[in-house]
Amino acid sequence: METTVESKTLQQFQEATETIVNPELKKWIDQGGKVMGYFCSYGPEEVITAAGMLPIRMRATGSTSTELADAYLSSINCSFCRHCFNMGLQGDYDFIEGLVWLNNCDHVRRIYDNWKRKVNTPLTHMMSLPKMTTEVQVEWFHDELVNFKEALEKHLGITITDEKLREAIKLHNETRRLLRQLYELRKKDNPPITGAETLSVVVASTAMPKEKFNQMLKELLAELGDAEGITDYRARLMIVAGILDDPAFIKVIEEQGGLVVTDSMCYGTRIIWNEVDEGANDPLTALARYYIQDKPACPRMFDTQPQRSKFVKDMIKEFKVDGVIGERMIFCDLWTGENFMLGRDLKEEGIPFLKLDREYIMAGAGQLRTRAQAFLESMGR
Amino acid sequence: MTTKRKQPEKALQLYRDDKAYMQMLLDGLSLDESEEAEINKGVIKAVLDKYDEVLDCAENDKPFITSWFAYAAELFTAMGVPWFMFPQTAFLGIEAPHVTDDIDGAERLLGSDFCTVLRLSLYYVEADMSPTPSACIALLHPCDGTVMVHQAIKLGKWRDVPMFGADPPYWEDERSYEYYANEFRRMVDFVTEHTGYTLDIDRLREVCEESNKEYALWAEYNELRRVVPCPHDWTIGPPQCFAMATFYYPGKPGGAEWFKTLIANAEKRVKAGVSGVSGGEKIRMLWFDILPLMWQFDIQPWLESEWGVSIVMNMFGFTPYEPIDTKNEDTMFRGLSKRSLTEYPMIRQARGVADHFLTDIERIVKDYKIDCVVWPAHMGHKDGSANTGMMREKCRELGVPYLHLGVDIFDKRYTSVDEVKDMFSKFFSSTGLGQK
Repeated sequence: METTVESKTLQQFQEATETIVNPELKKWIDQGGKVMGYFCSYGPEEVITAAGMLPIRMRATGSTSTELADAYLSSINCSFCRHCFNMGLQGDYDFIEGLVWLNNCDHVRRIYDNWKRKVNTPLTHMMSLPKMTTEVQVEWFHDELVNFKEALEKHLGITITDEKLREAIKLHNETRRLLRQLYELRKKDNPPITGAETLSVVVASTAMPKEKFNQMLKELLAELGDAEGITDYRARLMIVAGILDDPAFIKVIEEQGGLVVTDSMCYGTRIIWNEVDEGANDPLTALARYYIQDKPACPRMFDTQPQRSKFVKDMIKEFKVDGVIGERMIFCDLWTGENFMLGRDLKEEGIPFLKLDREYIMAGAGQLRTRAQAFLESMGR
Repeated sequence: MTTKRKQPEKALQLYRDDKAYMQMLLDGLSLDESEEAEINKGVIKAVLDKYDEVLDCAENDKPFITSWFAYAAELFTAMGVPWFMFPQTAFLGIEAPHVTDDIDGAERLLGSDFCTVLRLSLYYVEADMSPTPSACIALLHPCDGTVMVHQAIKLGKWRDVPMFGADPPYWEDERSYEYYANEFRRMVDFVTEHTGYTLDIDRLREVCEESNKEYALWAEYNELRRVVPCPHDWTIGPPQCFAMATFYYPGKPGGAEWFKTLIANAEKRVKAGVSGVSGGEKIRMLWFDILPLMWQFDIQPWLESEWGVSIVMNMFGFTPYEPIDTKNEDTMFRGLSKRSLTEYPMIRQARGVADHFLTDIERIVKDYKIDCVVWPAHMGHKDGSANTGMMREKCRELGVPYLHLGVDIFDKRYTSVDEVKDMFSKFFSSTGLGQK
């Protein structure tokens, strides 16, 4: 299953997803641009952009082994972390100037402790991300953003002005807006783009300069606008997941006839569905409010389960979803808990729900195929 | 104030049965007049007191709460609000023979790689095996599991139980202590709202002063465990001290008295040069986490008899505690906040950056003349297991062998007792510790 449109732009997005250093990133580096990595959808990209660096979300695409990382981490640590740290140890991320973490989960926050001791990245920074979402936490995170901004200023010898922050917020909001337009197209009875293809686009948005990405996405939207759309699907599916950055996973599901039309993912709606307030007096307060209160929440935000569940149910209605797949990385407690709760909620609503475990590197495609087929059949599709 | 809460009879019966079981143990010990038996009797009496308190509330519709050791129980003592540990049912002796069945039940809820203590806690609520409190204090650190299990519980049988979570910052600095102290102030308001119990600051001062005595006595006792040979075996000391100070008698007079009894006995044994290990102490071990609670009798006695292992210290027995400054309300809240963020075991090491894993190992190895360090790697302690390389390197630097096991402290099917024994045997043989 794939889009009926022959798009060079889409192909470029897909290529960007298949590597770490894609052509646009390479061009940025070759021109002397600095790159800063971040590990989580709460990573404040806007501050990095305002510092004149290129923010990229950390992935372990292309990794084939964890043997170096396994000397430091353990077999009960998630494979995303083990692959990422392995790439750090073998020098695959030597091109980055800095790396920022948040205590978003037990696995990722420990890469920070290991990375700062074992990998020579010039700037490493950790931010304390609250687990509640009241005004008190907005204030706390504002101060964390101030600390991060000051760390960047000190390291780079620059001043990050409010004006720069406002420009960055506008730029990143535009990315969110354009991506939402892409999602709008998927509401159609015959969406012009698959879930796997959409994931490529979203991953690319975190891996290349935003100006270039926005320009390319506008081209793609124009190409898709009048497209015929996909008709040969058996059911419309939604994926709920954490850091799923591999379109191949969704492709296997779609090859069985389950067209993924929307999601609640860290590489998906949870980073694009709302925007940072561009008119706020203090841009850092606006950013803090966005990340703590406005952005669709991660399961780690303690008091947000009803909102998270409502978000999924709203998506189901808006995108005419027939069934939901809850995916989690093995050993991830956040998504174990979330899938348990969501499964209960959706059962009450009579919405078919399938839980899938996976490792970071796509393995067991046959098993995934069988599970997807069985799920579609259980839905009578 | 009454709660008008219907209690699951199955849970109450379970707690009554466990109380009867503990009473039976106490009665059995009454024939033993040794000082060591007195120490154990003191702990069992504390357990019985806790059962009396919780059962009285549950059976007579009086308000009570559930919380965790990491929430400065001095506040609850000062307020006079009865409370029990959120995962309490998982630690009932009477339920131990059935725990593997319970784990299978828990697996149907939260799968197989979620911390067993936490998934059991959810299972026991869902299976009506835990008393229903008037309010629940949710723990939001040190791991992802705690955040998720409380959210999951709120969706099920405890849907109507008011729940409060204090937001834990990641850092250790004055900004964090002040922030968390304010979270504690909100917690006190929450408890008052849902139970009617209020906090009197003068009473809190008395409680903190009493608590300071307990922690000072605990530290004094630990000085005695530094002696070679260590005066007590694994059954007496660290886990009991932790339980008495943090949830049975936090800031209650009975606590200090119990610690004095413990110290007096340890002093006598030190003067007499008596080892806690009956066959003589050969290997001094740091067990750097929780002991394998549900199968410790399968492994600890064997370690002693087969290898002469003395578990001189474990994570829960270590005492990095600072006294609470009782000058005024702010200093007390600041002190309780700091203790709750940076001193309680497991929270101290696992909540924030990994440095305490390394500094604590170094401190304990040097102070307690440790021969080897064991990281049991409980399957729920994922963040800790991500430090295994750093811990190994630290031990190498200190010149002590390090063993990473990989167990489930509740489920001996995860790594069998024979496998664990085999790992230990190979470890002691290959490091030369077995020849001591």
